[in-house]
Amino acid sequence: MGEKADVWQGTLALMVLKTLQALGSLHGYGIARRIEQTSGDLLAVNYGTLYPALLKLEQEGYISSEWGTSNNNRKAKYYRLTRAGRKQLEKEAREWEQITEILARFMAPGKESA
Amino acid sequence: MRRLRGWLLRLGGLFRRARQERDLAAEMESHLQMHVEDNLRAGLSAEEAHRQALIKLGGIEQTKENYRDRRGLPFLETLFQDLRFAGRLLLKNAGFTAVAVLTVALGVGANAGIFSVVHAVLLKPLPYPESDRLVMVWEKVSLPNYENDQNEPSPGNFADWRSQNSVFDNLGAYRNRSFNLTGAGGPVRVEGEQVSASLFSVLKVNAALGRVFTAGDDQPSGRHVVVMSDGLWKSRFGSNAQILGKTILLDGESYIVVGIMPPNFHFPDPDDQLWVPIALTPQDLANHGSHYLLVTARLKPNVTLAQAQGELNRIAQHLTELYPDTNTGVQANIVALREEIAGPVRPALVALFGAVGFILLIVCANVASLLLGRASARHREIGIRIALGAGRIRILRQLLTESALLALLGCVFGLLFARWGILGLKLLSPPHIPRMDEIQIDTSVLVFSLAISLLSAFIFGVLPALQATRANVNDSLKEGARESAGGARLRTRNLLVILETALGVVVVIGAGLLLRSFLILERAPLGFQPQRVLTFRVIPRGERYLQLAGRTAFYRQAIERIEALPGVKSAAAVSFIPLTFARSSKGFSIEGHVPPAAGEIPVAAYDAVTPGYFQSLQIPLQSGRDFSWRDTPQAQRVVIINKAMAQTYWPGEDPLGKRIKFGTPDDPFPRWTIAGVVGDIREFDVLTPPRPTVYLPVSQADDSNYVLRDWVVRASVDPLTIASSIRSAMREVDPDLPVSRLRSLEQVRNISVAPQRFNLSLFGLFAALALLLAAVGIYGVTAYSVAQRTREIGIRVAMGAQRGDVVRLVLAQGARHAALGIFLGLAGAFALTRLMERLLYGVRPTDPVTFAGVTLILTGVALLACYLPARRAMRVDPIIALRYE
Repeated sequence: MGEKADVWQGTLALMVLKTLQALGSLHGYGIARRIEQTSGDLLAVNYGTLYPALLKLEQEGYISSEWGTSNNNRKAKYYRLTRAGRKQLEKEAREWEQITEILARFMAPGKESA
Repeated sequence: MRRLRGWLLRLGGLFRRARQERDLAAEMESHLQMHVEDNLRAGLSAEEAHRQALIKLGGIEQTKENYRDRRGLPFLETLFQDLRFAGRLLLKNAGFTAVAVLTVALGVGANAGIFSVVHAVLLKPLPYPESDRLVMVWEKVSLPNYENDQNEPSPGNFADWRSQNSVFDNLGAYRNRSFNLTGAGGPVRVEGEQVSASLFSVLKVNAALGRVFTAGDDQPSGRHVVVMSDGLWKSRFGSNAQILGKTILLDGESYIVVGIMPPNFHFPDPDDQLWVPIALTPQDLANHGSHYLLVTARLKPNVTLAQAQGELNRIAQHLTELYPDTNTGVQANIVALREEIAGPVRPALVALFGAVGFILLIVCANVASLLLGRASARHREIGIRIALGAGRIRILRQLLTESALLALLGCVFGLLFARWGILGLKLLSPPHIPRMDEIQIDTSVLVFSLAISLLSAFIFGVLPALQATRANVNDSLKEGARESAGGARLRTRNLLVILETALGVVVVIGAGLLLRSFLILERAPLGFQPQRVLTFRVIPRGERYLQLAGRTAFYRQAIERIEALPGVKSAAAVSFIPLTFARSSKGFSIEGHVPPAAGEIPVAAYDAVTPGYFQSLQIPLQSGRDFSWRDTPQAQRVVIINKAMAQTYWPGEDPLGKRIKFGTPDDPFPRWTIAGVVGDIREFDVLTPPRPTVYLPVSQADDSNYVLRDWVVRASVDPLTIASSIRSAMREVDPDLPVSRLRSLEQVRNISVAPQRFNLSLFGLFAALALLLAAVGIYGVTAYSVAQRTREIGIRVAMGAQRGDVVRLVLAQGARHAALGIFLGLAGAFALTRLMERLLYGVRPTDPVTFAGVTLILTGVALLACYLPARRAMRVDPIIALRYE
């Protein structure tokens, strides 16, 4: 546990927000499948870890939930982005881009040093 | 913000549990079904589809558990869970709970009670705005034959300090004075103050109704005006606002009521009800020789006490140069008002606070010992918990939660005890404790009690909890196995017993020293016989008594009237009875002696008396004669001096017939011939040694400062039984003069040692509590140890040990612990009692008698506490003991 989980929690939240932005309203199972597919099945984690993350985002007001009916006529809890969630997504996406950019510079063979 | 919102929702999550659980279950259910359907579509068998979905989810229960952690606040949930469990456990062991809670309650109650006094008297700011800048200004007199750090300032010095300083916002002067309030409702004596108009602005307090004094009121030519306390206004005038502008009769003169003070205002004494302008005359304000004022001042903002002191020193220096006759050796001394009020009681309160602190520690040791005893009964339960996977921290936490619950229960009952204690204290109303009306259980006291309760919970809980969780799981689970940690527990409990014996010794020695001091105080020679003497106060004021002849006639008539009453042997009046802090002194010069240098004038206390005063108090007349009514203003002026004065100024000579004069030899005052010498008496209190004193006959004392206030009546019966006949006798002489402070001289004497009696009573109470707790602790541990050793004792008895041997075995062990505890306690007391030095009289803080006595008492108590379990050990039946488990 510890820091690794925190990092995972942070990125997981970003992925959830991004997924909901792309697909609109979606239930937990759908979000889990979507994240798995998008990551090209590289991220093979328990779906179960998604639910506390959803709860946290909801407690913080970034997403909201309500019960609805799925395509197959099943009752399911649907999550959607709130306005605050949209803003948070933009902010976190920007930060993420910055971080990846910085890391990319470190990782790429620098022209100056060559 | 977002995070806070999250926390609040989680806090809310603690409460809508059932609905959320249903919601969560439904969500998991729907998740699984969707996943299973997908899996079926992918071609898996029904069983496999379900299995895969579960694996992918990571288990329903695990997911739910993680979800719940996020939903609520696990910390609080665990706390509630532990509290519920602890509550059930405490209910189940009602006996244990009652003893532990009562013990904690005694400790917390004693502490909360004393803290409420300490808080009101020492810590809380005074009830005046920005009271930290209020100070008292005294004269600091250091002369060869007179030293006083807190001498009452002369009006001249007050006026000069006031006009020349730049460090005070203002200075106010005042002087106690009582009034005969007459009119509807009969005559009553009311305490009051003569004050300068500036006093109220120094205090920054205004009238609730009407106004306080203006500079115009505070003039010799000003009208008679008065400001009244809310209490007097309510009780005597029915809170009628129409009284403003009306006149009331004080000492037979009319005063216009100009203001009513706010309800809780009092200054300087709680029983002051009236304030009138002091109206110092220009002559008064130039007088540097008579010292009778009290001066309060308010420091300017940003001026420190030291800066103010520096400036007043310079002013005093200058005044000494200007007025060498009166101001030589006279400096100024500034004392913070709060220190002035709290200073005298601080040593006692600090000592008492220390004593109750020790009691709390003893309480902690006792409860810790109880918990250790109970831990042996619970070792299996805890073993099972550990075996089932409970972490050590988790169990520690649960045990500490139990301790905290115990302590909080104790705190609630302790506050109840404290409340009763404070009520009792107010009933007792010890005269030396200031700000009694402010003593209450307020927020600070509550917070303090809660804090010490939780601290105690930690102190008494942590050791047993640590020891409980150290238990070996295997051992504790074995059916019928003897408890392995028992030995360690007993050792810890023995240590606790040694500790609490030591703490008890310190508290009991403190009480012992106070008791010794008090006994010495009780035996101190007073110089007069207070038994069977009634005293009361009647001050002749008003038109009839402006002249000496009118006053003398009144005294003589009243005394004759009283002496004619049945049960009365003799009666007399005096300016102030002994053992009351109310005596002034004067400089004098002796005829034929070399004129004293400036500032070296001899000083003597003085009292005016009627004939028969010495006889009434049975103060022995050593030579010469008593006063008589024949000592008229036309006859030779005579005085009587005390032995201390005769020995100081006429050593080896006969002072009879010598003549003295008040003031310097050049002053235009009459000379007085010494007609008698009487024995010394304790005039201020039982402790202050006698000082040179001059008695003047009231019939020759024409200055109205010599008015007699106090009366003494020696009775042949219980003095209080003649009180009512004396009241009516005085009413017959003058119906407008109220009789107040009617009590026996023995009551006066008791009041004068009330502070010492109070300290002793409280300390004694706490010492008894400490002894009791220590005894209970020793008893508990010995009983436990005997129970642990039942099998061993059984074997000893089976092998032929006699009953005496068994008792000796148990007693010897107890005695070893007690001896160690007492030794540690004596060492501790040796180091600590010197902090009580200021409370002691006639004994050193390391008084060997007290130390030896307390050692004996503690040894006796410890042996008794061990003897009871030892007797049980003695009766052990070897057959039963060997089967004993």
